[in-house]
Amino acid sequence: MYHLLKLEWLKLKNHRISQILIFIYLIALPSLLLIGKSFDEIPEDLFSKDMFFMFPAVWQYLGYVGNWLTFFVFGFIAVLTITNEYHNKTLRQNVITGLSRREYFLSKTLFIVMMSLLATAYFVIWALLFGATHTETIYMSKVTQYAGLIPRYFLMVCSYMTIGFFISTIVRRTGISLFLYLAWAFFIERILRYAMHYQLLEGKSIHFYPINATSDLVPFNTPLNKMAEGFMKENNFSIFLSPTEAVITTTVYLLLFLWLTHQMLQKRDL
Amino acid sequence: MEILQIDQLSKSYGRIKAIDRLSLTVNKGEVYGILGPNGSGKTTTLGTILGILHRDSGSYRWFEGQHDPKPLLQVGALLETPNFYPYLDAERNLDIIAHIKRIDDPNIDEVLELVNLAHRRKSSFRTYSFGMKQRLAIGAAMIGNPEVLIFDEPTNGLDPQGIAEVRETILRIADMGKTIIMASHILDEVEKVCSHAAIIKNGHLLAAGTVGAIINQDIMVDLISPDNERLLQILQQHLQLTLVDRQDTMITIQVTEDTDPAHINQIAFDNGLMLSHLVARKKSLEAEFLELTSQAS
Repeated sequence: MYHLLKLEWLKLKNHRISQILIFIYLIALPSLLLIGKSFDEIPEDLFSKDMFFMFPAVWQYLGYVGNWLTFFVFGFIAVLTITNEYHNKTLRQNVITGLSRREYFLSKTLFIVMMSLLATAYFVIWALLFGATHTETIYMSKVTQYAGLIPRYFLMVCSYMTIGFFISTIVRRTGISLFLYLAWAFFIERILRYAMHYQLLEGKSIHFYPINATSDLVPFNTPLNKMAEGFMKENNFSIFLSPTEAVITTTVYLLLFLWLTHQMLQKRDL
Repeated sequence: MEILQIDQLSKSYGRIKAIDRLSLTVNKGEVYGILGPNGSGKTTTLGTILGILHRDSGSYRWFEGQHDPKPLLQVGALLETPNFYPYLDAERNLDIIAHIKRIDDPNIDEVLELVNLAHRRKSSFRTYSFGMKQRLAIGAAMIGNPEVLIFDEPTNGLDPQGIAEVRETILRIADMGKTIIMASHILDEVEKVCSHAAIIKNGHLLAAGTVGAIINQDIMVDLISPDNERLLQILQQHLQLTLVDRQDTMITIQVTEDTDPAHINQIAFDNGLMLSHLVARKKSLEAEFLELTSQAS
């Protein structure tokens, strides 16, 4: 396992675009939340600007920022590093050199897990830092109230990257893969959802789609849209999957995509 | 020891049979040329035994199964184009090769010297000229001193000096006692470099064996005399020969290897025919190759 992770590290070490993307994540995750400090008018529900940074809400706000960022940053890293292997024919060379297809699959999967772990660790560090510096009285129960978000954040990054891995393995071309990754999230899945389910307000099945379930792992479920939730509740409708539903749905898709990717890699001529 | 045994291997792309029941055996220490025109199935054959293409039927075995399940760790190969990470320098690319091959203390310096790239070791691969890329690929194949090396059209696209360098490098590697499998469409290259050869066309094996046996050593003799027809009759009484070509003034005959051209002159002279032209040459490989491949079509 260490051997395969080291291989990925050797490949990534000087990959400029990945470095830039990681740098963007490192900078943007805390600074996007800091923009909250500059808001002039705060909706009444929020009490103060520091609301964004206090335990336990900081987990949710920072999680929401991370949700968007990881979709772009880590999804792109997955697509770029994997299509690179086709574009440069290095996957072919890796196999000729003696790496088995299974090992290649495992190394990419381990790479996804490792990147997701690091992204999550970074998220936890900032959440704790912000919380500790902005909360006047710190209760342990408040700090850990949303601890469930941490594994879900990890699963979310894994899922975005796996979708990138899956698309890149099918398509192999960098540009088309990136386009499909974005189009899937912003158009294809939405069109499919509404086309399949006409009625927006009826039936929950409309939510059980890969990108939607993944983004519901760390939802923007904060006082800001609590009001909207109230309206939705009256109509017996929720805009989000419950955490458990999101975890199960995402896990099922993640395993399915990994399995399909594995089968493609095994069966295909390189 | 049998390094590689291919048995009845077939592979098609849709309707096209790229290789068709191909069998051959490469033994330790041989420099084995796979010779065939473009599109004859050379690269497909190598791609299959290197694990990047799936076969339809048949089998192959490396090292009599001794290094299974990962025999390729003992093989260094260059297939078609040199494939490296363009953003990494030569050293780091070779590091990756060594890492995959699980070599702790790779001979990177030695290899870079061998292919004459030591001075560019820190430049990223994308800045290399084609010749340098090709040389790095040959170097990469040498990482870990594998017992077997595979080169697919190693001199393709190189300038004459590059071609000479690569051939020299391959011969040097062969002198180390390594087994080399080389695909080429250039006869001259196979003749100069290889000890054994297989000729394939349209995925079929046409001939296999030592270069000497495949490419027979008969001698071609061009002759001009005042009466070529009589000359031919006379020579036929004394020698085993075949008429290869008859032009306006010149005839070309093929005689066995041990025939002394002076003897031909003597026979003609003894029979009162003066030769104004006599050139003996080894039958050209080119002609032999064309003969072999056109017979099959």
